[in-house]
Amino acid sequence: MHKILRTICATLLALAAGSAAEESEAIKIGVLYPLTGSGAVLGVPALMGHDMAVEEINARGGIEGRPVVSIARDSKVKPAVAAAAARELITREEVDVLIGGLSSAEGLALSEVARQEKVVYIATIPKTVQMTNEKFHKYVFRTAANTDTEARAMARTSGQIGIEKICQIQFDYAYGHDLAAGFIAALPEEAPGAEIVLDLKVKLGTADFNPYIAQIMASDCDGVASGLWGANFINLAQQGKPFGLFDKVKFVSGGEIGAHEIAGKMKGDYPDNVWSNSYELWYHDHVPQHKTFHDKLARRQGTRETSSWAVLGYIGVQFFEAAAARAGAVDGEALIAALEGLTVETPVGSRTLDPRTHEANTGQFWGPMTKTEQYEFRIMDPVTYIASE
Amino acid sequence: MLGNPTFLFIQTLNALALGMNMFIIAAGLTLIFGVLRVINFAHGAFFMVGAYACFSVFEWSGNFWLGVVGAGLVLGVLAWVLERFLLRHLYARDHLVQLLFTFALVLILGDVVKIFWGADQYSVSYPAGLDGAVDLGLVHYPSYLLFLCGLGPVVALGLWLAIAKTRWGRIIRAATQDREMLAALGINVPLVYTGVFAAGAALAGMGGALAAPRIALAPGMDATIVVECFIIVIIGGLGSLWGSFLGALILAFVTVFGAVLVPELEMVLTYVLMVVVLLWRPWGLCGRPETERV
Repeated sequence: MHKILRTICATLLALAAGSAAEESEAIKIGVLYPLTGSGAVLGVPALMGHDMAVEEINARGGIEGRPVVSIARDSKVKPAVAAAAARELITREEVDVLIGGLSSAEGLALSEVARQEKVVYIATIPKTVQMTNEKFHKYVFRTAANTDTEARAMARTSGQIGIEKICQIQFDYAYGHDLAAGFIAALPEEAPGAEIVLDLKVKLGTADFNPYIAQIMASDCDGVASGLWGANFINLAQQGKPFGLFDKVKFVSGGEIGAHEIAGKMKGDYPDNVWSNSYELWYHDHVPQHKTFHDKLARRQGTRETSSWAVLGYIGVQFFEAAAARAGAVDGEALIAALEGLTVETPVGSRTLDPRTHEANTGQFWGPMTKTEQYEFRIMDPVTYIASE
Repeated sequence: MLGNPTFLFIQTLNALALGMNMFIIAAGLTLIFGVLRVINFAHGAFFMVGAYACFSVFEWSGNFWLGVVGAGLVLGVLAWVLERFLLRHLYARDHLVQLLFTFALVLILGDVVKIFWGADQYSVSYPAGLDGAVDLGLVHYPSYLLFLCGLGPVVALGLWLAIAKTRWGRIIRAATQDREMLAALGINVPLVYTGVFAAGAALAGMGGALAAPRIALAPGMDATIVVECFIIVIIGGLGSLWGSFLGALILAFVTVFGAVLVPELEMVLTYVLMVVVLLWRPWGLCGRPETERV
């Protein structure tokens, strides 16, 4: 009897040791996106793209033969929650890298943790220029576009469609502040003669836009510049329509409200006269490899009309994989050296991380949101890719 | 800008419409507290489920009003089941346990919404006939908002009549005073409780449905509304119907004019208002000082 027990114990021990060895071999990614609350709309598809990329790596046999494990945490669009989860991922789960973040405030918080813990952080969605300017440090990289690039594209669009008097409405936090500042700075060059006649700041989470709509309607502007993203735009659009807001002004907006997540769900409710942006559009093959990516995503989502935020999660992992393979290691210093100047063929085109600023040259698709005969929702048509500078 | 009478007029209407929508939701909260003495944190979640239910019924039937009724029914039934089988067992317990229960509901309903509708964001179209603007002489104003301005007082009056003038209303009022005596008189008190909880939840649900054309349906849409509802009932007095009517109006005017006049202080103003009211009348504008309940 003792013998049997001993055998069982020995087998169990061997199994445990074996799995432990395997565990230590795996490369661990800590991924943070909002999965509940108001940010889930964007965080859930971003994580889907992330997971898709990780599965593809493992199907190819991992990175240098090591499997990749991804440990996800819900950041809840709260900087404090994101930071605490990131610390837990680093200290308890011993992840090799942090990827993700949604809002600019989250991005700044995650970047701070990365700096203190000396772990590389790849920001896939946060756009504030602060992360790569005054708050820059060597552990932070950004594959998202930045607010300056987005603001310049907004200013250019405003100039092209001939807006002269602009009401600006932006969120009262890092993203809104930086986008507003970038827009004002780019205006003289991109839209000479255009001026800002009203500058509105809105608290994030505001659901009632009527007081602001009334101010825009009472002003003499012929265009609105905005960065109200996601559900916030739906609030503004639904409340603005009966006031005739979208008959009075041309609406130029960052915040990817040209993405199919918005247009596909709003359908006939999507207002007229909107020019906006998106990182990806399922109906637009900018580069040949987009088709392959879209086919895979469509299978995963079970629809051809796929989510545009998935590509951001996907690209973050692509960069990590390429860097780890290039470095042959995943420790902080080796990863940093490998990421600097790294070029990756993403589903939306080639991207290179600037060795000096640690930012990818990520541009976005821009265009008017147009009604079509073919679909019950609006699509961006014509689509123009506006690159970063 | 406030020197412009047209602008002032529009912002006043904006505040009225917002206030009336919030009142319909908060009325449910105050009703539930008044009778059950339960602080229902899940009220915002009920509001959210109502908005989503309206969306689904609207998608299926194409009729917005059916969506509003459907939202009321869904929430009424849901709350009936919740009270009958779960909440009822907690009345004898500490307030904290009830609070934890309703807070758990917030988390569970948040996930339920994600399971049924996903993490996408949706919009609901304005009902036919109320999707445009009405010429008020001075200005054109959205007809749906005018409808909300009119609906609020109608709901308030209806609820007041129901509570003040009907037999059921008398029983409900009696239940707030002395549930033991009511039971001794042969009234099925647990049934009264279940009914009131269901009615309060149905109000939240219909409030959510009525708000749906104006706001995006997305996860997390319950977060702010529940705070606003609590501010309203605290200002107005917990358990007081007219208190929540007044509270909703005050909060709406502070929100709208705060956003125009002192945008950087908008959020602070709301809380300052609450603190002032609590210092001056801790039991709220229309509430009564709490007497010891035996």
